[in-house]
Amino acid sequence: MSKSRLIKTGLVLAAFAVVPAVLVGFDKGYYYQIATLAAIFMLLAASLHLVTGVAGLLQLGHAAFYGVGAYVAAILGADHGVGFTVGLPLAGLSAAAIAFLVALPTMRLMSIYFAVATLAIGQMLYLVFLNWVDLTNGPNGVMLFSGINLFGIEIESDLGIYYVVAAVVAVSILVLNRLSHSYYGNALRSLREDDQCASAMGINVTVMKIQAFVISSFFAGIAGALWAYTTGYISPNDFHFSQSILILTMVVVGGLGSLPGVLIGALLLILLPEALRSVGDIRNIIVGLVMFGSILFLPKGLFGEVSALNFARRLLGANWSNDEGQKGIGWK
Amino acid sequence: MKLTRRTAIAIAVTAALTPAAAFAEETVKIGYQLPLTGNTAQYGQDFKDAAEIALTKFNASGALPVPVEIIYEDSRSDAKEGVTIARKFVDDDGIVGVLGDFTSTVSMAAAQVYKKAGMAQLSQTASHPDFAKISKWQFRNITTQDQEGSVNAQWMLDQGIKKVAVIAEQTDWGQSVVKGFVEPFEAAGGEIVYTEFFNRGLADFRPIITKLENNTPDAVYTGFFYEDGGQFLKQMKQLDAGIPVYSTSAAYNDKLIELAGDASEGLFLTATFLPTRMDANVQEFVGEWSKTHDAAPGQFPAQAYDAVNIMLSAVVKAYPEITRESLRDALAETTDFPGVTGNTSFDENGEPLKELTKASVSNGMFVEVQ
Repeated sequence: MSKSRLIKTGLVLAAFAVVPAVLVGFDKGYYYQIATLAAIFMLLAASLHLVTGVAGLLQLGHAAFYGVGAYVAAILGADHGVGFTVGLPLAGLSAAAIAFLVALPTMRLMSIYFAVATLAIGQMLYLVFLNWVDLTNGPNGVMLFSGINLFGIEIESDLGIYYVVAAVVAVSILVLNRLSHSYYGNALRSLREDDQCASAMGINVTVMKIQAFVISSFFAGIAGALWAYTTGYISPNDFHFSQSILILTMVVVGGLGSLPGVLIGALLLILLPEALRSVGDIRNIIVGLVMFGSILFLPKGLFGEVSALNFARRLLGANWSNDEGQKGIGWK
Repeated sequence: MKLTRRTAIAIAVTAALTPAAAFAEETVKIGYQLPLTGNTAQYGQDFKDAAEIALTKFNASGALPVPVEIIYEDSRSDAKEGVTIARKFVDDDGIVGVLGDFTSTVSMAAAQVYKKAGMAQLSQTASHPDFAKISKWQFRNITTQDQEGSVNAQWMLDQGIKKVAVIAEQTDWGQSVVKGFVEPFEAAGGEIVYTEFFNRGLADFRPIITKLENNTPDAVYTGFFYEDGGQFLKQMKQLDAGIPVYSTSAAYNDKLIELAGDASEGLFLTATFLPTRMDANVQEFVGEWSKTHDAAPGQFPAQAYDAVNIMLSAVVKAYPEITRESLRDALAETTDFPGVTGNTSFDENGEPLKELTKASVSNGMFVEVQ
């Protein structure tokens, strides 16, 4: 068995055997909650990774698309009896559709102007959640009584819910992984490095950016639906600007452009505040110090992009060619 | 280096083990989820202080042969954390009931967990119209806006006010303020000439005030907390609007007078707690509070103080067979509990029935209106 297959099997085993076994062993709802929450935020960080890490577009309104997904799932579930199997993809598609609409006018904006535009979009969507009372129930939020129903089977146990969330997140991350480690991902990286150069090479910069933005928002919408189905109650505050910043921090601390890095970043920023609960009010300061320290000493992230690319290439079965004369530079 | 690391580990381990070792098995445990850090930390810190006053007094009184312990968890007013804490409390078999959270949204999200697990949850402030209706496990110790709205409506009608403009913050609570007032006021023959919602933290109320004046109301009914209230009242005075302002118990806070100064003179509001009231229990609470605080306690800490005491008296009723079920039943039976925010009973939904006091600001102080 090759090393790459070993790592892949290891990751799948960790998500679907080791973590559940530990959860069952402890049998605490608290741990199930943290595991589910961590999975949702890993998906959020992984989706933001595509647009901010790989394509280099500073997106400050990611939580709004997370919110669109959550609201679509919750409203469809609460008012129209649409269940999990239909609601989940619809949530993703709605978030993607809204992302497409807002991407059209904003994608030609450069760097900081784009960042401010996404900030505004995030804020606008938040205010829509808050003020469009007829649709979103405004600040009262939406209560969703139906849980996760898979083809007629009501999933109620904590373990079952974890498995459903973990499966959806794992598949989504797999897709994001293939997207960011492919010719497509390399094209996105070329936009980040020099979009004029990329354009000269025949890459349609605007179309690529719109695609990355839409795909990223699709998965944020999926994450939102998972949050709505697992919590049973959502309100505009869950999708505030501060959540966008939290997700962005996960991406930066983990490593811009590195998928394994942002997953580690998400895990760290969900688990650390919980692990530090016993130290009381100063836990926020400790979390802040850890973040500060990691930016200061590991500016490329906990698992930088170069290592991540090496890692991904190895997983895909490609290695640096190491011929004697160094003539064959590149991948086998 | 080696020594310090070892010492650090030893300290960490000791710190982690101490709370578990310090309390004997038979302690009755209550969970309290509240924001101790973050944007709303000032409220959570006040709740904790009020709860400590109530708990110390209770444990010293010997009403129970065993001590009661309150476990505080910081939710940062974030639903993610609120739900996680709820799961943590439910896991702890020793915890028989829960207080909190502060905001409605976090309380509502956590309530889904308590509903499923079967644990009584008593919030001192969750004002969402549907909160207490979630299940039989939810209770709250804050007057509903249906109650405050109808008292205010009647009060205005008694003063000969027929045309009213209504403005409120754009939150679940603000929505209930408007609904709670408009329905009884219109039913009694009043007329609503203007309704507007504003987002919390609005700096400039002048456009709203101008529109409001154009509709020439006899009075304004407002749903705001003291921060927004201070701004609104100041700008009303700047624009020389000269329209009487009525408000709810949420505006009842000494800081409102501090912020608005002269502009707060003549504000009318309903309240359940007045620290100037001479009742023995009110003065005892205010006395204890003043030992550690510069200002008198506001409405919210008083509600928290009563919520803790209501919970504790339910614990006494359920003792010695305290289970989550029996504690819930004891809470539901609460009738005319004599608290600092007036006598409290729970109706069949877990909604508190309280008496309201009419008050106004006069010479920089809240005074009762007879």
